[in-house]
Amino acid sequence: MPNTPDISSADSEGAFSDFIDSYIGEGIKNIINNIDERGLDIRGDEVVFEVDGICPPTFVYDDAGGEGEGGIGSDPGKLVFSIPFERLMELVAKKLSLPNLKKVGDGKITEVTEHYKSFGSTGVILDKRRTFKRAIKTSIGLGTFNPDEDKYDIMIRRRDRRYKQPLIEEKPKFKAVVFYVGDISYSTWGERLELEKKVVSFIQMWTDYNYGIRNVEHRFVVHDSEAHEVTQDQFYTVDNAGGTEALPAFELCNNIALSEYNPANTNFYLFYFGDGEVFEFDAESIRELLYQDSLRIYNRIGITEVMPSQGSWGSCLVDTIAPVEQGYPDIVRVSKLHEKEKIFATIKRLFGHNSEVPPAGSKEEDENIPF
Amino acid sequence: MIGIGTHPDLELLRKRVMHYAVKEFGMTLPEIRFFLLNSDEFMSVLEKGVFPVSPTNIWEGKEVITKRHRVKVGLEPGIYYEVVQCGNPSYAYLNDGNNLVNQASVMAHVCGHAEFSKLNVLQDIEENRTEKVMWLTSQVELAKRFLGDDDYRRYWNAAASITQFTRPMSQYNLGNSVEHDNIIPEEMIVDSTETKPPITYFSSSISELYGEGNAKDIRDRINVEQKRRKQRIEMSRSGYRLKAPCQDVFGFIAEHAPANESERDILSYLYAVNKNSEFIMRTQIMNEGWCMYWESKIMNKLFGEDSVTGLIDYSKTFSGVCAPRPWYRRNPYHLGFVMWKQIEKDFKKGKLSMEYTNEKDVDVKRQWNRPPKQDPIEFMRHLVRTITDFEFIRRYLTDELIEKFHLNRVPIRDAERMGLSQEDVVKHNDEWVWLNPDNIKEQMLDNFTHFHRPRIYVVDHDYNGEGALLLYHRDDNLGILKSNWIEPTMRHISKLWKSPVYLMTYDDDGEGIMASVVKHKFTEEDYPEYPDFEEVRETIRTGLKFI
Repeated sequence: MPNTPDISSADSEGAFSDFIDSYIGEGIKNIINNIDERGLDIRGDEVVFEVDGICPPTFVYDDAGGEGEGGIGSDPGKLVFSIPFERLMELVAKKLSLPNLKKVGDGKITEVTEHYKSFGSTGVILDKRRTFKRAIKTSIGLGTFNPDEDKYDIMIRRRDRRYKQPLIEEKPKFKAVVFYVGDISYSTWGERLELEKKVVSFIQMWTDYNYGIRNVEHRFVVHDSEAHEVTQDQFYTVDNAGGTEALPAFELCNNIALSEYNPANTNFYLFYFGDGEVFEFDAESIRELLYQDSLRIYNRIGITEVMPSQGSWGSCLVDTIAPVEQGYPDIVRVSKLHEKEKIFATIKRLFGHNSEVPPAGSKEEDENIPF
Repeated sequence: MIGIGTHPDLELLRKRVMHYAVKEFGMTLPEIRFFLLNSDEFMSVLEKGVFPVSPTNIWEGKEVITKRHRVKVGLEPGIYYEVVQCGNPSYAYLNDGNNLVNQASVMAHVCGHAEFSKLNVLQDIEENRTEKVMWLTSQVELAKRFLGDDDYRRYWNAAASITQFTRPMSQYNLGNSVEHDNIIPEEMIVDSTETKPPITYFSSSISELYGEGNAKDIRDRINVEQKRRKQRIEMSRSGYRLKAPCQDVFGFIAEHAPANESERDILSYLYAVNKNSEFIMRTQIMNEGWCMYWESKIMNKLFGEDSVTGLIDYSKTFSGVCAPRPWYRRNPYHLGFVMWKQIEKDFKKGKLSMEYTNEKDVDVKRQWNRPPKQDPIEFMRHLVRTITDFEFIRRYLTDELIEKFHLNRVPIRDAERMGLSQEDVVKHNDEWVWLNPDNIKEQMLDNFTHFHRPRIYVVDHDYNGEGALLLYHRDDNLGILKSNWIEPTMRHISKLWKSPVYLMTYDDDGEGIMASVVKHKFTEEDYPEYPDFEEVRETIRTGLKFI
């Protein structure tokens, strides 16, 4: 062997990671579908997945195994791997053609970071490797280091010292507050609850990804005939007390937004989930509230009708708000989530480009989803 | 990765090990180069087929990532002792995390592998094997640039589907199954009295010339001439023909599939790194036992001269490596080691002789001690030179030894899973069940015919006259092929062969099936003509075509 290079599988690991990227890209639907209320399995900055093992197919007996330790044809079992959270969300965005969220507050709050990318003769943090390299060069030049003559003195002079130079970067820091409003007057359990949880989990991930995990506050509000702020756990478990009036919930969110935060540098989002069965006067009051206040407060208002009961009197809230969406499509979005297969359609309606979003509940809406 | 020459203590140990191996015990060794690897490098070298380099491929990446994760979460230990790529020179890799005693034992163990590979009848001692693979790796990296990432990955994956059908040591390997020459040997021309040709041209006017009695001779001559012509046509078209089923499916495809230079480089590389896996399968028990035998001998010498210390710890490690396991999960280190020790012991007493075998008196046999003149080590080396695991077990593993080596001792949990009956069980306690050893040897030997893998053969390379590849799955009573893997595997083979591919196999009821990929379309049809292996062999031998 002419030389002894390091033995490494880095290139093959990279190739496999690329392969997994495309594999995930193809399988985003499954990944999102399998999100539970805890969200993804995030460890540090990585998202951990478990998928069915993949290996080259070959001719193998049905009961592959037998004597020995098994081989290429053995049941490959589960494969656990992780990818950075950011990368996953990039793939999701690409697959769903989601634009980044709008951000206000540019320049008002900045995030200061320091990178050590350059070096100089002055500074605080000594770069030992570079300093030593220069010192060796100088010592060879001066003749104090010459192994052939048994001289091994290395002099480190002041001018040989190299220091790491901080490069200060100021990035605009954005802040977001996301309100999740749930109608607890309808039977939110079973499949309804599951659908709601999946969409809420996705919204949390998506806003975290866009603004940074530490920069987003998620607040939960429930209502029957009254509105109350609750924790995330309570959001999914609290019982109803009878009656339905959604307006107080919208009002409560507006109050919180205006009284607890500075609207000038905060991005507000409001997502409403319910069976859409509200009284006509209630729906009309909400529409008025949107025109008067909410449109000025929120970057996005999403109203999602989740599995209305059979024999209900129709999509009153969604139908009433639909004209607002037509007038302000960059802010208001309504959607109908009636079955599990429409989670992606819902996500795309809530966050997609206005021009690409077909009307809520339309056939076209389902067909447009790129899977 | 560093040579151990840079490590004075290890270099000294290497010299002592080589001294005992060569000078004291007369081992026949090729040049052995030792290198130290860290655990990450060790993990990689294992996945590279025990070569220092490999072309980029997703399966190696997957294995390394998975293994690292498993080690991280404690599902498997991250300790590796040694791996060696035999050849001339041989390359042995040591783990830099091991202590000196372990390193010494590994070097002694490697000597065993190197000698076994050099002496064994299957001759696994290719010249410059590692260097050749390094060169092939560089060729494949060039091929990757030529093909582009996607095509490269697709072609590699297609080839990876059939690497386990690399069988250069099979009775039906390329050399024995494929004929390349334009000259048609006489023995290929079969006697037409044995096989009736499908069509017989017969001219009554010619027969009149020769007379009625010569009609059969004429027919024979015509048949022979027909066969010669048919073979000439076949040869002139492809340059080769099958004279027997070819079990080295990958070898056949690597050599005869239409491929551009880049694709051929990929096939050549994969064939080169996979071709000695059959040697391992066929000799693992003898080979590992041989290594443990010499390891123990050399280590005793090293402990005796205080080159290494820590005999108790080493003994614990040794007995851990040589722990007995039941026959269906046999530990080759244990079984090989105890069998070699037993052979040495029996040979010294003259028990491996015809006289001893023919002796009827049990008492005489028990008292038998008639040492032969031949050195036992020479006898053992003679076995290495002449047999493989199959014969090793067939000759020397008796029912008494099965009992003695605990091959018939099954953990109670496994016994419950296996659904054993009372008749099978000889005795039991809370932890183990001892089975009747009668059929165990037979089962172990059976495994050497198929290694619990499907036996697939190339039986025609111009099936249906459309240049299609016809494969045959031999029925070994091991069940049916995994059905949902047949289609993707055949598509992969079709990608390599660049023409239709057919497979003769059978279903749950033993009824024949013909699976095919023709013009990218996969179909499975009933195939009542599914032949047994003898018929297949005969059909090819007589130059007939499969229907």
